[in-house]
Amino acid sequence: MIENYILMHKGGQEEYRDNIFVNYSSALTMALLYLPSETDFSVTDEASVAALVQGSSKMEFKALSESIYPILTELKNYMLIRIDDKAINIERHGKVYAYIVQNGELKMLPNGLTSLEDEDRVICCTGEFTRYLNDIAILSDAVSSDSAEEWMDNLVCRISDKNRLSEGNLTAVTMIVRSNDVIRLA
Amino acid sequence: MESRLNDLPQLQGAVTIALVLLVVAVTAFIGIAIVYARKKKTSHGDDSELSIGCAYFIEVGNRPSQQDSLFVSPLDEYRKFGITAVVADGMGGMEYGGEISEKIVKHIEQMCPMSFFATEQNADEIRRLSNDLYDEYKLSGGSTLAMIQITGHFMNYYSVGDSDIILIRDGTPTILNPRQNYMTLLIKSLTRNNKQTQTAYTNSKSRALIDFMGNQNPHVIYTKKPMRIFDGDVIIVSSDGLTDAVSLRHIPNYLKETASGTAAALKRAVATRNRPKQDNYTGIIFSIKRSLI
Repeated sequence: MIENYILMHKGGQEEYRDNIFVNYSSALTMALLYLPSETDFSVTDEASVAALVQGSSKMEFKALSESIYPILTELKNYMLIRIDDKAINIERHGKVYAYIVQNGELKMLPNGLTSLEDEDRVICCTGEFTRYLNDIAILSDAVSSDSAEEWMDNLVCRISDKNRLSEGNLTAVTMIVRSNDVIRLA
Repeated sequence: MESRLNDLPQLQGAVTIALVLLVVAVTAFIGIAIVYARKKKTSHGDDSELSIGCAYFIEVGNRPSQQDSLFVSPLDEYRKFGITAVVADGMGGMEYGGEISEKIVKHIEQMCPMSFFATEQNADEIRRLSNDLYDEYKLSGGSTLAMIQITGHFMNYYSVGDSDIILIRDGTPTILNPRQNYMTLLIKSLTRNNKQTQTAYTNSKSRALIDFMGNQNPHVIYTKKPMRIFDGDVIIVSSDGLTDAVSLRHIPNYLKETASGTAAALKRAVATRNRPKQDNYTGIIFSIKRSLI
């Protein structure tokens, strides 16, 4: 299973405009949308993406990508993610990022399939979220946290120290591979 | 004379071939040098041996007594057991802060050499030590703990409280360990409610510790997987007496070629600030270099 924690915080903005659509099935499928204030995204399109992700359980990742692309092509900043305890598949467009902890370092995930092992740690987030974070901070919080939630809380503290969460929307998801299906309690 | 003239074209041919080979060799050398230089500039992925320089300072500041304690495992055993270093900052205003911090570093010393890979067991042992301190002192004193282990190209850390473990890489300082103070709880609560966090920083109790050594079953923060370290890294384990006096972003200004140079510069920087309420200040500095041997 994939232990995960999702942050959707409006920051200093009037409203939360980014979005994450999630489908919890045998694999976790997500669409992460980064919508800076100058970006327009209609409610109808948002509903279409939500419906596609919801109905994606038996859909190939490539088919999902091709279905969503016409809706999101104007959006520029979005990411599709499918992850289970064996592999992660991502398709990244624009200022959204995915990182994995490997061999004591933080590495950016390339588009496509990457194999995973038990206890691997992955973060997907918007450019706004990483504005005040460096690789060492993300890595350090990843390896020292007991849970995906604790990892996110520590990262948010770092952002808060810089800007009091007073700027753009903050959107991210932290994930830890738990192959033995047991969530460790802190 | 005629014979020499006949040899001339052959000689010219040989010189031409030699020149071509020379040009090829020089071009190849320059090419390889450029690739190596680029790789060195953009990548930390160098597997050569690392050497560790270490120095420390431990000063009373303007407090009546020293409540910080430290321990560094013998450097001459580095190749065999790695390095363990710990700073414990006794909680000021409590009767037994200094005594407890001393007990912590003595216990860590007894734990050495400790396994680099058994981090969970090491964290359990630190928690047991805290429980023993709780039984003995019944919360009439406490201390922080900030500890690192370095082996080869990797580092683990352990932390309870709000002492600092700082990694400076490429001139950028980063505090590695999350602080366990009330401010982090306030930020968490405000974030859950989709709010901004200014009030967390103006709360008069925000720096109060929510966990410390001497508490019962403290949450020991530790690395579940080691972090890679590289040539040029500087690691500082310190009490907050250092970072209260010299802000994190200014610490790189005091970096010198050697760990002892950096330690001397940081110690001088705190001393010259002459703060009336300067807390005890302690720092262990590790300078990581590529080994020539």
